[in-house]
Amino acid sequence: MQTPGTYISATGHILLIGWLFFGWGFDADPLEFDAMDVSVISGEAFEEMLAARTPVPGDASPTAPMLPEIVDTPPPLPPVASPVAPALPPETVDQPDVELPPPAAPAPLVTEAEPTPPEAPDTPDAPPPSPNVDINAPPAPTQADRVASTPTAPPPPDAQVDDIVREEVVPDATTTAEVVTEETTPTAPEETATEIAIENVKPSGLVDTSLRPVSRPSRPTPPAPEPATPTQTAETPAAPEPPSDDAVEAALAAALAVETPAAPATAAAPAVAAGPPMTGAERDSFRLSVNRCWNVDPGSVASRVTVEVAFELDRNGQVIGQPRLVSSDGDQSAVNIAFEAARRAILRCQSGGYPLPADKYEQWKDVVFTFDPSGMRLR
Amino acid sequence: MKKFLTLFIALILAGPVAAQNGPLRLTITDGVIEPITFAAPVFEAENAEAVQVVNNLNRLVAQDLAGTGLFREIPANAYISQISSFAQPIAFADWRAINAQALITGAVAVSGNQMTVKFRLYDIYSGQELGGGLQLAGTTAGWRRMGHKVADAVYSRITGEGGYFDSRVVFVAESGPKDNRQMRLAVMDFDGENTQYLTDSSTIVLAPRFSPSGDRILYTTYESGFPRINLLNVSNVGRQQLQTAPGEMAFSPRFSRDGGSVIYSLSTGGNTDIYRSDLATGQFTRLTSAPSIETAPSLSPDGSQIVFESDRSGTQQLYIMSANGGDARRISFGEGRYSTPVWSPRGDLVAFTKQNAGRFHIGVMRTDGSEERLLTASFLDEGPTWSPNGRVIMFSRETQGEAGTSALYSIDISGRNLKAVAVAGAASDPSWGPLQP
Repeated sequence: MQTPGTYISATGHILLIGWLFFGWGFDADPLEFDAMDVSVISGEAFEEMLAARTPVPGDASPTAPMLPEIVDTPPPLPPVASPVAPALPPETVDQPDVELPPPAAPAPLVTEAEPTPPEAPDTPDAPPPSPNVDINAPPAPTQADRVASTPTAPPPPDAQVDDIVREEVVPDATTTAEVVTEETTPTAPEETATEIAIENVKPSGLVDTSLRPVSRPSRPTPPAPEPATPTQTAETPAAPEPPSDDAVEAALAAALAVETPAAPATAAAPAVAAGPPMTGAERDSFRLSVNRCWNVDPGSVASRVTVEVAFELDRNGQVIGQPRLVSSDGDQSAVNIAFEAARRAILRCQSGGYPLPADKYEQWKDVVFTFDPSGMRLR
Repeated sequence: MKKFLTLFIALILAGPVAAQNGPLRLTITDGVIEPITFAAPVFEAENAEAVQVVNNLNRLVAQDLAGTGLFREIPANAYISQISSFAQPIAFADWRAINAQALITGAVAVSGNQMTVKFRLYDIYSGQELGGGLQLAGTTAGWRRMGHKVADAVYSRITGEGGYFDSRVVFVAESGPKDNRQMRLAVMDFDGENTQYLTDSSTIVLAPRFSPSGDRILYTTYESGFPRINLLNVSNVGRQQLQTAPGEMAFSPRFSRDGGSVIYSLSTGGNTDIYRSDLATGQFTRLTSAPSIETAPSLSPDGSQIVFESDRSGTQQLYIMSANGGDARRISFGEGRYSTPVWSPRGDLVAFTKQNAGRFHIGVMRTDGSEERLLTASFLDEGPTWSPNGRVIMFSRETQGEAGTSALYSIDISGRNLKAVAVAGAASDPSWGPLQP
């Protein structure tokens, strides 16, 4: 059953197999020829290479720390040296190699290991490696070891430039007025005083400002409709001001609340029996836990009323008795509604007690909350 | 001397230290907006005759409250403890555990066609009863009113605002195609129940308005071929034409807050102005005199001012003037046309119809024109009317096209809870009456 197809197939396969055979053979030959070309080129360049080789060690010798460069240069040397002339290159190479080790590596090593007998034993020790290194391989491993063993960390301490500077600082500390400040507060626990001052000032300012922006961005937009009022048209250019006022007021309120403990803490902390002041995180945590229970009805007249509600907490963080209205603004009936909402919020979210630091009980046993719905009002 | 000085300094420093022991002050600015949860276990039936009505009554109360959008009922299958007796003590912890903020308990006794309803309201989180127990007596036929009254009491005690469930609405009941529409005056409960018709459909009637006490209704009729104002007595359906100032057309009437006089529009010689007429004496006063059209007057709750619409600026806008007339100040400045202003019973807002860019809106603004908010938008929304507590606005909405019909809707002034009022047939021009005594 030999059809034209089988012939075509057979010839095709034969061609393919043949191409594979000859193809491999042809590929192998040109590779060899290429290698020969390389050798020819090297013969012409020998003299130049030799001429260039002497300057290489010369350059390397002065720059002792440049170890990596030296490592790079040796590899080209061996192949050149082995085929052509072993005699001349070794001599030229020997001198620079001998010169190299003494300044760079041995000096630090010997001084650290044996301080007293440097002269006689050290110099013989140094030469022995050098002849070994002279030929080919030795220089590379030794240099590698040196690089690894000298991570440049030890030398700096020896130099101790930093130490000198520090020594200069020490006398400054002794001479500074810090001692005087300590004298001013001899009886009081000084450390608590300074720490309190720092804690008070930083957290309150940082946390308040960082949390505010989350809610504020939604408010600047609502004020837009307000400008329609004739009374507020004058303020329209400052449309973002209302929120900023709120923010300022809130920040002021928070700042004032913080300042009372902060001011005495910086001045004199001895009388503080209430433990460290509450951090901004603790205050925010308390506030947020009431926020989520404060149900504001934006359609109610109470949404235009701000009320201040006071209550007492026991050590478990639970409300003692009933919250009471401290102050308010606005219509009485609206105030009553607003107070009821605030009272419900305080009672509802206390389940299990508010999460407050037990060691600061004195600071949160009496609480006054200001419920300000101005940000939730319908616009 | 040195000791005195140190003592003095110590005292100064001690001052602020003492202040440190003052209360912890925090400001709460971000609350939540969510319905208040309540539980309303089925009321106790104090006798066998009450068994039938007790469940209906209980459901009506829960439906009224939840229908406001301000309350959410906790389903009965979530209850931990059951209320089997009106007098039993309340296990507050059980109700607190299911997050109920209010608990309503009740008992019903029926004897013949008379019934009494008792109920108590508990504030779960303070563990106290909210207000005292209340007992209502009435007829079994009026059980819905009693249910509304219980819901009103609960609503009022929790929100601090008046309720609006036991109130009625007068409106124009419509039937027939657009080109031959039959119109009748009708009254219904606020939830669309108990509809009663006050007039026949022999003539066109428009814009009915309840009196402040709910006993009379003003409306515009075309009985004589021209619009005139009629006064209708709700109890006996007797009606008479209002004696107005001389003019071709009188329309858009409203009672004064004391119900003793009427403010309305009168058109004469092509000019429309606002007048006031005393119901007892018939004496009238012209309140506006501009050559433009002034109409749709509405009095403030204290009766001292009138808000109305005028096209004196070229388009329909809202103005406020003294109840005795005089200079008017414009309060609407947005785009579009404003009409049918209605002063809120609270006094803080004005509701209006706004037409802008081919759409109609019901909106509210403060009485100085600020804080305008559009609550609805549709092909045709118009004719807002306030609930007695100024919390909800009802209006009529007409659908587009030949087969378009009108229906009544209500919406909370917060812009939430838009609901269709379940009225049989088409309806328009609602006017919300007062809470019934």
